[in-house]
Order: sequence, then C-alpha cells, then structure tokens
Amino acid sequence: MKLSFAAKALLAVLVLAATIIVARPNASYAYQDRESPLAAASRLHPAGTDALGRDRLVRVSAALLLCLAGAVAASVLTTAAAAGVGALAAFGPASIGWVSMLICDAFLALPWMFLLMIVRSALPLSVSPASSAAVTFLVLAALGWPACARAVYKGALNLKRSDWMLHAHAAGLRATQIIRTAVPNLFPLLLPQFLISIPAFVIAEANLGAIGLGVGEPLPSWGGMLLELDNSATLFETRWVYFPIALLIVVLLLLEAVAVEA
Amino acid sequence: MRLFTAIVAAAGMLFSLCGAIPCAAQAAARLPEELAWTIGYDPKTFDPAKVDDQESELVRYLTAGVLLRFNRFTQKVEPELAQSWKLSPDGKTLTFKMRQEEKFSDGSNLSAQDAAWSIRRVLLLGEAAPAAEEFVLPGSVTVDAPDASTVVVHLPRRIVGIGKVFDEIAIEPMNRPSQGHVSSGPFVVADYRRSQYVSLRRNPYYRGVATGAPAYASGIRLDILENSEQEIRLFERGEYDVIDELQPDYFEMLRHRDPTAARDLGPSLNTEQMWFNQSPAAPLPAWEKDWFASRAFRVAVSQAIHRADLVRIAYLGHATPAYSFISPANTGWYNRSLSAPHTDVAAAKAALARAGFRLNGSRLVDSSGHPVKFSILTNAGNAARQKMATLIQQDLGALGMQVTVVALDFPALIERLMHTQDYEACLLGLENVDPDPNAMMNLWLSSSPNHQWNPSEKTPATAWEAEIDRQMHIQAVSAQDSVRKQAVDRMQQIVADQQPFIYLVYPNILVAVSPHLEGIRPAVLAPNLVWNADSLKLAEAR
Repeated sequence: MKLSFAAKALLAVLVLAATIIVARPNASYAYQDRESPLAAASRLHPAGTDALGRDRLVRVSAALLLCLAGAVAASVLTTAAAAGVGALAAFGPASIGWVSMLICDAFLALPWMFLLMIVRSALPLSVSPASSAAVTFLVLAALGWPACARAVYKGALNLKRSDWMLHAHAAGLRATQIIRTAVPNLFPLLLPQFLISIPAFVIAEANLGAIGLGVGEPLPSWGGMLLELDNSATLFETRWVYFPIALLIVVLLLLEAVAVEA
Repeated sequence: MRLFTAIVAAAGMLFSLCGAIPCAAQAAARLPEELAWTIGYDPKTFDPAKVDDQESELVRYLTAGVLLRFNRFTQKVEPELAQSWKLSPDGKTLTFKMRQEEKFSDGSNLSAQDAAWSIRRVLLLGEAAPAAEEFVLPGSVTVDAPDASTVVVHLPRRIVGIGKVFDEIAIEPMNRPSQGHVSSGPFVVADYRRSQYVSLRRNPYYRGVATGAPAYASGIRLDILENSEQEIRLFERGEYDVIDELQPDYFEMLRHRDPTAARDLGPSLNTEQMWFNQSPAAPLPAWEKDWFASRAFRVAVSQAIHRADLVRIAYLGHATPAYSFISPANTGWYNRSLSAPHTDVAAAKAALARAGFRLNGSRLVDSSGHPVKFSILTNAGNAARQKMATLIQQDLGALGMQVTVVALDFPALIERLMHTQDYEACLLGLENVDPDPNAMMNLWLSSSPNHQWNPSEKTPATAWEAEIDRQMHIQAVSAQDSVRKQAVDRMQQIVADQQPFIYLVYPNILVAVSPHLEGIRPAVLAPNLVWNADSLKLAEAR
C-alpha cells in the first residue's frame, strides 16, 4: 500500500513538474535553437538540446504528458470496450458469448505490429502531428481490448455462476436488475486491467516511435526521442541523450507499482 | 514480477536501439601485406559483364583488365590494355591497338581475339549487361579483330563519351568466362564466403600502366559488414585500412579520436534536393497543383530555406550548399557564372504576395483562401534527410506554410513517386557516378519516367521544359566540347531560374585512411580511395 502511495505521489510530482516546464512562457518543444545543436546542459537548456537544437527538457516533459494522456485515454477506451464485450458475452446468450470470444481470439492472433504499420502508412500524408498522435493511441486501444475482454469475460462468467446470482435469479430479478447489480462487482476486475494497460500503451507508443511510426514531428514522443540512442556517435557527444529513456524507465516502474498494488 | 518485466522491456528497447550486437569477427585467412576494408553487402555477381550494383562494381574494378580506364583522379580516359585508341571523325569507328605480351592471371596469352570476344559477349547479353545499354543500339554494334593486336568496334551512330564505356568491359579469356577467377586486372577473386568476405589475390602477370609491375599489395580482403560502429572500431584497431563512406556523425567521432585518419574530401558529385509534384495525374486538389506549378511559389520556397543551417546541423558542416544539379567538384561541367536564388526570406514573402498569397494571421493562404499546407516525403532511416526536412519545416513556417514531415520506408516511397503519384513534395538525393551530364539524360528529358516532378510527359508541359529537352539533345549529339558545355550551362541556368528541383546540399565525401597506408590519392569519383589499388601498400605489417 505504501509503495502504491509513493508511486502515485511520485507520478503526480512528475506530471506537475512536466506541466510547469511545458507551460512556462517561451517554452517550445518545436523551436530550433540552431546555434546550439546537441548542446550539453546549460542555464538556457537544463537538459541540453537535441540534434536540431530543441530543448530536451521541454520535449521530454511534453512527451511525458502526451504519452500519459494518450495511454490513459487509450486505456479507458480499452477497458470500456472490454467491459462491454466481456459482460455481453458472459450474460448474453451462449451463442453471442461464443462469437464474441472467437472475435477476441481472432484479434489476439493478428500480427498487431504489422497492422499498426499498415494503418499508420495508410493515413493521409498531410495528417497533422496532433492527429497522428490521436490515431496512434486510438489504434493501440483498438488492438488492446481483446486480451482485457477475455479476462473480463472469465470474471463475469464466474459472477454469473456465483451463488448469489443464482439466488437473484431464483428470487425473480429481471435481467436489467441483475446486470445493474453485477456491474459494480466487475470493478475490482476492471481497475487492474485499466492500470495494467497504461504502461503497456506507453511502451507500445515508444516502440512505434522508435521505428518511425509513432507521433509525427515536431510533436515530441518518447519513441522519437529514443531514436537518438540508435547512434553511438550521438552518445559520444552528450550523455543527456540518455535522459528520455531514464525517465521512461522510471515512469514505467511507477505505473507498474501502481498497477501491482491494485 | 511486473516491475521486473518493465525493466526488462525498457532495457531490451535500449539494447535494440543501440544497434545489433556485432556479429563475430570476419574470419578470412589473412595474407601478409594484404589490404583490407569493408563492403556493405554481398556482391550480387562476380561476372564482370553483369555487374549492376555498387559492390559488384568494386570487385570488377579491382579485378578487371580493361582496354581503356577512366582515371578517377584526372577524370580522363586513358589506355590500359590498349596501347592506343582512335575514334574516327564521324565518331562511329573505334580502333584499339593492344599492348604486347599481355597475359591473364593463369599465364595464358591475352590477344585481340579475347578483347573482341569480351566486348561481343557484353553486347549479346543485352539487358543483362548494363554496359550494353550504353551502346544505345547494342544489336547494331559490330566488333572485329583483324589481327592479333587490333580491335575495331563499329557503332551505328556517334555516342557521347564512348571511351568511358570500355572502362566497364572486362577483358576475359575467350570462351572461358570465369567470374573473376581468371582476370587481366591487378587482382583476381580467390575466395568468397557469403555474408563474410571476398578475398582477392594479386595477379602475378599484371603490369600496371604507371608502375610496369604487379600490384604492391599481396591481396585485398573485403569484409562484408553493414555495421558502421563495428567498422570504425575495427579500423581503429588497425584491422581495416580505409573507410570510404562515413556518415557525418561517425566522421566527427573518428576525427575526435584520430584527427589524422579522418579526411573530408570536399563536395561529392551527389546532390540532395526537394521537389514539388507537378504531375497533372497526381491525386491532389487543383489549388495545390496551381501552387506547385507556380514558379514564384517554388522560388519562394527555395529562398526561405537556410542551406547553411542544413549544412551545419544535418551534416555537421560536412556538406556544401547546393544551387545546381552539377556539383562544384565536377570542375569540367559546373557553371561558375550561375545566377540562382539564394536565401532571402523577405524576398520570398514579397514574391508570394505578388503571386496572390497572403497571410491570414500567421498562416499563409492562397488567393482563394486555401491554407498553404503540404507534406514533405522522405525515406525513413536517413537521419540527415529527416533532419533537413524538419529544418525546412521550420524555415517554411516563417512564410506561414504548414509543413508535415513524413518518413516512409523506401518501397512505400517509390510506390508513391513512380506509380500512384500520391504525394505533394519529396526530399531525396541523387547519386552521380559519372561526371558527364549526358548520364543524366533519363532525369532531364521530359518524356522520361524518371523526370521526377512530372514524369513521362507526352509533350513538354512548359516552354522551359522544352528548352531543357533541346539543350539536352544538343549536348548529346555535339562532337564539340565547347558546344556541349554551353548547352549544359544553359540547362543549369534554366533549372536555377525555374527550381523544378530545389537543390539543398552536396554532401561531402567523408573517408578514413590508415596512417600506415601509402600511395593514397583520394578522388572525387568512386572508388574514391582505392581507385589506384595497385599502387597502395602498407608501410608496416598489420
């Protein structure tokens, strides 16, 4: 419990700090200080600059906010979709349950990375960076729900077969009343699914960005910034290139700690 | 457990980003006094007549004896296996006199019959032999060997720069093509292990034109290695003697560690450029086609780009701002009196205003009120191009243009450029291996499918494109160098005025040379460092 609290507090501090950094006057994640490419830390650029002279601290902060917001939104969508499909499959007629789970299995069997690449490549070329970010997380959400739905289905099925549910049936409760009673009992199952999905989406976006399929320039993304590590010559220039991945590991650990406690 | 998973996932990503773990060191047996460097991939063929890729071409260059050699340093055609050569006044008959007592690497005699057979073999292979295409009508070319030391080639018509074509035709033993194992050049193919190495051995019967003796080096080991970091590490350990194509960031890293080894040879013949899609068949809105067809729009874009920043940031200073399709390194053809639009943002804004564009807040709109926004395509995986595109994105933002940068993998990019025409602007480079502008015929003729801004025009779409066609034709048929130069100068000026290609930079040639290697005379043309491989030797044993 203490670990979860500390993790939540640290996450909150990070988000607050990132918000302050991004909201500062003159802070721009896109501005290219062309006189200072790949600069070391200084008063003007506390975490140095990237190869185009953009402030690394502002970009990492903006990436943190963007990635967390996107991952939380995608996780909400995934969990909601999974809750709907799982509950429908469990409480609906057996045929619907069978078809729903078949669809889930089919989704799980898809080569999702390949699909993501196709979807990203199929986007119009002039799609704005913000739209590319939205699409990236939407696609992740669209592909992330089946595993979650399977877990919800199992939980809902156990609920359906529980003694109190049998008693409710025997007592003559209508289907809508039963669902209304059952849904709150699914929350303990949905919350961990929601929390587990967040770090999964964060790392998925970072992976996509690292192969050039994530958020469009100049919007910062973790994956895009990790691309800097793909070049030992850059590593030799400044150690600050490790900053994005260091923060990513910290954020992932904190998100996992929160999820574990749930 | 999940915490552990997160750490493993993140660490795994770090390692994957840091590049593949280097494969085991190459395992070719090494000879004393052997030279060594790397090639990026397996040569596709060792048959010198069928060479169609860079690495096969290098092996051919090192092993093939040729009648005429195009000297990469002086950029002049010189006799090699031929003692002399003559072109008839009508440009249709070439007569070669062979050197006496030449031998192949197996000790057999080399005669005019071998040379004639080798040339005929290339001509008969047709499309399978890229050199045959340079004869334009290879089926109509005849080759005779009237005596043991004379070869006569009859062409159906004059071909500009015909001498250079013979640099690509290896003379092999008649009826015994050997995939480079028997050659008349300085080296022969001794061993090849797929994905590991190509080993070349000195041809003891070779007599270099300059030295009159076999090559100094006992052999050459070409390790097949894609990983730049490993290549640099092995170079620093003394395993390799040269690196011929360094990326600017690796060049800087090496220069920092060993200033004497890293050398910037100045601008290459290659260009990096962007262009707008002017094809009428492109699935673009009519107003966008109007922008891209507008000279004022293209010139304004060119004027807004800070090429000095592209050089300094994307190439770390190892490039030269470009304004023409001919590099200043191409001394014979570069137009020194070229007048091209240089960086001038105020002039760009004024030109756009005159053309009916106006600012709506901070955003540029055309005369119909359409916001000026478009995407620039480039290929994923090329860091310098992606940096240039992002810098240009900000430069054009100063004019109020909204630019999106899109990096696509190469097949997807080519599909859009060559087939669907579904793109707005593109940023790519062009590799020029031949300094003669005639080699660019397929790029400049309006009817060509490689006429990128508007491919395969049935008739020239504009008067200036018709004029380029005309000048290209003049330089292709004229026998006088001064007339050809005048035509090419005129073309350079038209391109600078119209900006169908907005030239950005000429990347510099960045190389590394071991201090133990003697005889190096770097050239602008490939193979830049090893064009005189027979004169190279190690000062001390590896």
